[in-house]
Amino acid sequence: MARNHRISRRDWCRLTTAGVVGYSMSGWLESLAADTVGNPNRRRSCILLWMNGGPSQMDTFDLKPGHANGGPFREIATSVPGIHISEHLPKIASMMNHMVLVRSMSTREGDHGRATYFLRTGYLPQGPIQYPPVGALVAKELGNDDAALPNFVSIAPNRGVSPAAHGPGFLGPPYAPLIVGEAPGKPNAGGANGYEQALKVRNVEPFGFWNRAHAAARMELLEEMEKKFLEQRPGVASQSHRTAYDRAVRLMRTAAAKAFNLDDEPDTLRDAYGRNLFGQGCLLARRLVEQGVPFVEITMGGANNEAFGWDTHQQNFEAVKRLSSVLDPAWAALMGDLQARGLLDSTLIVWMGEFGRTPRINGDTGRDHYPNAWTTVLAGGGLKGGQIIGRTSPNGMSVEDRPVPVPDLLATVCMAVGIDPMKQNQSNVGRPIRIVDKAAQPIKEILA
Amino acid sequence: MKSRRLAVILAGMILVSGITGSIRMLRANSPSNASVAPAVEKAAAVTAKIDRFWASQWQAQKIQPGARAADAEWLRRIYLDLIGRIPSVFEARQFLEDARKDKRQRLIEQLLHEPRHVVHFTNVWREAWLPETNANQNNQALRASFEAWLQSQIRKNVPYDQMVRTLITFRAPAGNARQVGELIPVPDGATPQAFYQANENKPENLAGTTARIFLGVKLECAQCHNHPTADWKKEQFWEYAAFFAGPPQGGVPAKIRIPSTDKSVEARFLDGSTPQPKDMNNPRSTLADWMTAPANKYFARAAVNRLWSYFFGTGLMEPVDSLSDDGDHKELLDELARDFAEHGFDIQFLIRAIVNSGVYQLSSVAGQSKPEAEAHFARMAVRGLSPEQLFDSLVEATRYREPLPPNQRRGARTLSARAEFLAQFTNQHEKRTEIQTSILQALALMNGKFTADATSLIHSETLAAVIDAPFMDSAGRVQTLFLATLSRLPDAGEKARLVQYVDRGGPSGSSRQALADIFWALLNSSEFFLNR
Repeated sequence: MARNHRISRRDWCRLTTAGVVGYSMSGWLESLAADTVGNPNRRRSCILLWMNGGPSQMDTFDLKPGHANGGPFREIATSVPGIHISEHLPKIASMMNHMVLVRSMSTREGDHGRATYFLRTGYLPQGPIQYPPVGALVAKELGNDDAALPNFVSIAPNRGVSPAAHGPGFLGPPYAPLIVGEAPGKPNAGGANGYEQALKVRNVEPFGFWNRAHAAARMELLEEMEKKFLEQRPGVASQSHRTAYDRAVRLMRTAAAKAFNLDDEPDTLRDAYGRNLFGQGCLLARRLVEQGVPFVEITMGGANNEAFGWDTHQQNFEAVKRLSSVLDPAWAALMGDLQARGLLDSTLIVWMGEFGRTPRINGDTGRDHYPNAWTTVLAGGGLKGGQIIGRTSPNGMSVEDRPVPVPDLLATVCMAVGIDPMKQNQSNVGRPIRIVDKAAQPIKEILA
Repeated sequence: MKSRRLAVILAGMILVSGITGSIRMLRANSPSNASVAPAVEKAAAVTAKIDRFWASQWQAQKIQPGARAADAEWLRRIYLDLIGRIPSVFEARQFLEDARKDKRQRLIEQLLHEPRHVVHFTNVWREAWLPETNANQNNQALRASFEAWLQSQIRKNVPYDQMVRTLITFRAPAGNARQVGELIPVPDGATPQAFYQANENKPENLAGTTARIFLGVKLECAQCHNHPTADWKKEQFWEYAAFFAGPPQGGVPAKIRIPSTDKSVEARFLDGSTPQPKDMNNPRSTLADWMTAPANKYFARAAVNRLWSYFFGTGLMEPVDSLSDDGDHKELLDELARDFAEHGFDIQFLIRAIVNSGVYQLSSVAGQSKPEAEAHFARMAVRGLSPEQLFDSLVEATRYREPLPPNQRRGARTLSARAEFLAQFTNQHEKRTEIQTSILQALALMNGKFTADATSLIHSETLAAVIDAPFMDSAGRVQTLFLATLSRLPDAGEKARLVQYVDRGGPSGSSRQALADIFWALLNSSEFFLNR
């Protein structure tokens, strides 16, 4: 399999200390170099909490309690004086010092499909170019090609909204996510108790009883057969088949697949995360990050695993309260757990959906799509937490201060995990494409 | 040895194919030569044209074409391409032992008349025309409805231009705009309404989609701004979209307002010409006239190119949904487009012309060929299978019987084994020649229940037949397994190694289990998984 000729992190450190800087075109190289040289063994990861449907900022992180648009939720104080969030996120509130609220997101995309694509890839869907999502990009930069676990794991995604934004894009199959928790025909694995089976990698054990020696003998037979075919008919399709089998076997044979076995965890911890698909998915994410997986995303479809849980066009407040009751313990447990294991500083958590929701409440006590002014949250990752970036107007309708375009947010994510956002990858149309749009400016005030 | 061979053949016929085998034997003699001869002859002239073109191309490019595909290689390919599954053991043996010179041509005719051909090509066109239904499970009702319509057309070999005309001029009942996530009621009767529903009845979606699939023009970028890489202006996009803009206004030109502007544009064809006002009582009918007219330079080319791309993995021009005026193989594409139009847009005619050609019969073995050879079709590309082809081939190879009847309720979300399998193996945007296998797919094939059942000594019919055949030796059994999966006989090295494995009983010490192991390996091999 053709290997990308990219510089390993160790070589890169060597080159930078030797003064051979200038490998990429950005100006942020020095800060990255310093970080890496200071901690050469520090492996960074990113966990994306993807809120499918567009979470309401007015009822989570940017409340307007005095205003007619505010709705019934009250604000509570957090561990950071001056920052208030929804009363239904108390556990998160106590960890605000690790978090940054970006209240000034603004886009023009109000369609689920396009907005999902935009937020996940940093680019609008444009003709034939298959932009990869940030997960695949991070997997390519930070992942280890020889690792047993794939470098990009996606838990319970709702791919139907934008299938292209859930694949590897032009980076190709080695960077495709390993997907768990997605039952075919059903957007998320069914039912509150369905998550147990759903979160395991399907078919990683041979069906029925097999002893190892026999399984190995079968694999040998297969390998013998494959040799001749590959010799006679080289090409992408044949190679890809072999690669998939090799990686699958690696997953089967090593202890890596045990990362998916949540039974190892104490019951109290599992209870703290919440006994539901999202909560246990967050626990799984912690385990995967511990094993060195650089990017894990968990999609929150809905409290009862409906397709568009956060898409609260109707009965917004009941729904958001229910969703918050799942989100709050899971996220707080995740951060606490990472912190306890000394991983919080090297793990960036990104909380976002594809857009926000209308400040004005509609006739169904709901809020509709609103990309004009909304909130995303960054946490952990060694960021300078406890800050608010940007400000919306008192009625929540527009951004008054420090608007943050999507590429800026993603550039910040890249910087926080130690990737150069201006680095280019070869696309499927022959043009090199930067990880993030070249006009992007990361939010420097929160980066360490 | 001849009588032994006969015994083996008989055993194969009786044990492995059952009744269906004999029905197939009857059918093999059925399309009467008298009725198909003229059709074959017409196509033969075009076939000759295709081969002449390539011969001169290869000479000009100094490319040595690959060898002709051996019978076994070609056999599997034609079955997969025409009826969407691999041949059975019986079918394979019958063909391989047929001594007639024109057996390939005869097989093509036979397969074109199989009912499965209709089902398979329904899948092919649906994949191209309604790609939204491939990956998205929410669209199953749309898929079923559209397939019903497609089948009704293909079964009668309705000319391509008429199919497209019916689609374009279809009048969908009002009020069908789709809410995201809502289940769509399946319309009664076979209509192409699903096409409109999938495009949310929006003129801009219909414009982009129809231009792409029927005209080979990718207009979508021009929806919001002038196209970055081609010459299309934003006005042109909306002028084309105007044809889909809504109920006809009787004599008044169809108009559409460009969103976010105050500008309205009138309907205009993509080549810049304007429709006659008197024809605009029914704008879409006028559009269909323009599209399918012989003078239209986009329509026939796009169709021919797509069909070529289906059989070869790559079109004569790439990308297939964005054709240019130039290109290496423009001459052939234009010629074939003309022939297609002149023969009444008969799809079967075009298929016949292509698959009877020498270039289609080239082997996919790389041999000594240079990498450029494939770009000039001097070597057949290895292609991936569609999920349906893969599943149906697995079913054929293993004689799998679905244990529970699939849930037939409309819009039901519970899935049959087939649907579940299809969902796992759907690929998103890839070209067939660049098909990617995912880790989960590999795990499913290696360890999944389906494979386990298929290779179990208890549950697998094929395996049982092979193991229980009393007058087959190990070599015969191994050969049958190869025929069942790869449609070929093992070569000397393979045979020797595997017969030894069977006779020694493999790691379990049982010859029966050893045969099951070999079957498992064959089903998981790249050669099974791909169309070579």
